[in-house]
Amino acid sequence: MERRTQSRPTGLFLFLCAAMLVLAMVSEQPWAAGARGYAKGLLAPLETAMTAASGRLGAITAGFGDNAALRARNQKLVDENAALRRQIAELQAAGQDNTALRQALDLQQAYGHATVAAGVIGRGPDGFSLTLEIDRGTADGVRPGMVVASGAGLVGRVREAGPHSAIVQTLADPQSRVSGYLVASGLEGTIFGGPGDLEMQINPRFGATPAVGEWVLTSGVGGGYPRGLVIAQVASISRDDAATADGARLAWVNDPAALTVVLVITDFTAS
Amino acid sequence: MTRVAAGLVILLAALMQVTWAPQLTVLGAFPNLVLVLVVVITWTRGQRAGLVSACGGGLLLDLTAPGPLGAHALALLAAAYLVGFWVRNVDPAQLVHAVIATAACTAVYSLVLIGADNLLDLPMPPLDVAAQLAVTAAAYNAILVVPALLLGRRRRVRPA
Repeated sequence: MERRTQSRPTGLFLFLCAAMLVLAMVSEQPWAAGARGYAKGLLAPLETAMTAASGRLGAITAGFGDNAALRARNQKLVDENAALRRQIAELQAAGQDNTALRQALDLQQAYGHATVAAGVIGRGPDGFSLTLEIDRGTADGVRPGMVVASGAGLVGRVREAGPHSAIVQTLADPQSRVSGYLVASGLEGTIFGGPGDLEMQINPRFGATPAVGEWVLTSGVGGGYPRGLVIAQVASISRDDAATADGARLAWVNDPAALTVVLVITDFTAS
Repeated sequence: MTRVAAGLVILLAALMQVTWAPQLTVLGAFPNLVLVLVVVITWTRGQRAGLVSACGGGLLLDLTAPGPLGAHALALLAAAYLVGFWVRNVDPAQLVHAVIATAACTAVYSLVLIGADNLLDLPMPPLDVAAQLAVTAAAYNAILVVPALLLGRRRRVRPA
């Protein structure tokens, strides 16, 4: 009996591997997207409950230190600070573009797009794909490819959507690419996601120099994102005489681990 | 532990991995609780139980991840198979073997996950970033497996 339990279950391993490979190939097919979306929504209620429990646990922990009110006030100030930072960047951009100032306190008006608010109920299971799971799906008008933002700025893009949940690929995902521009210098470039800070490859232009502290907004180049969404602030710049482009390390305006509510922009279609 | 209880523990680990664990991110990596649980099950209950739990836990993770179903299950199966092979050839009482096995199977898990993405023509992170994430996750999981294994052994002994 002992020998039997200790025997090498290579057959079981090979069978399960083959089954998972077939499942992966079948579920990847476009005609299986609907069923896959339904399947991926199965865990959403449990994730919502778990996230809520996590919030309550945090509140209880705060209660032990008798600082729940301070935490709430601090969170409010953090939110206000993020909104003000976005407002500053947008005002700078508005001046640069000579466009009308946008009303930043009303997010929908500020973005100038129709949005659907969604709660964050989960995150990707590993660091290779930094994603968020939200509690809105196709039943709420959310579709794959839609752009997602927060009060502070750009978050990412909807990658998959089920009836009542969707998966958002964030800018922190190493696979993310966004076209952006620096507000003060007007330089453009491509922003790459990463496990740490975002990186930007800046296309050089005669007479223009990037500076630390500049705001970076979406440029709209390529049609993947609407122009004018706040992405990040330049934290440092690296210049290499041999290279054809400058590099910049960016401080993203969003912290994916702290995001609890996002806005899905429903009236912008990526071209 | 009954099969139902084991299933519930794996479900809880998967839910914690996608809701709580990302708050413990270090250098882009966070604990893979399902993988740690699979290592503990394989180490204490045998390779067959480990493979079954890897398949179930992997499918649960697939439900929360972008891309096709089965990729995480495949990666966890490879990890469980490696741990099963490891535990048969060393003294399982020594925790250091479990630590090394966990680090190694995290590397295999990462490799299979990236390989599956490549096979299915899905976007992949740059290799240097992937390597950094894999090394950090390996260290993270290797540290976590010690208390998890001690807990698993206590539960294993208690019914007797």
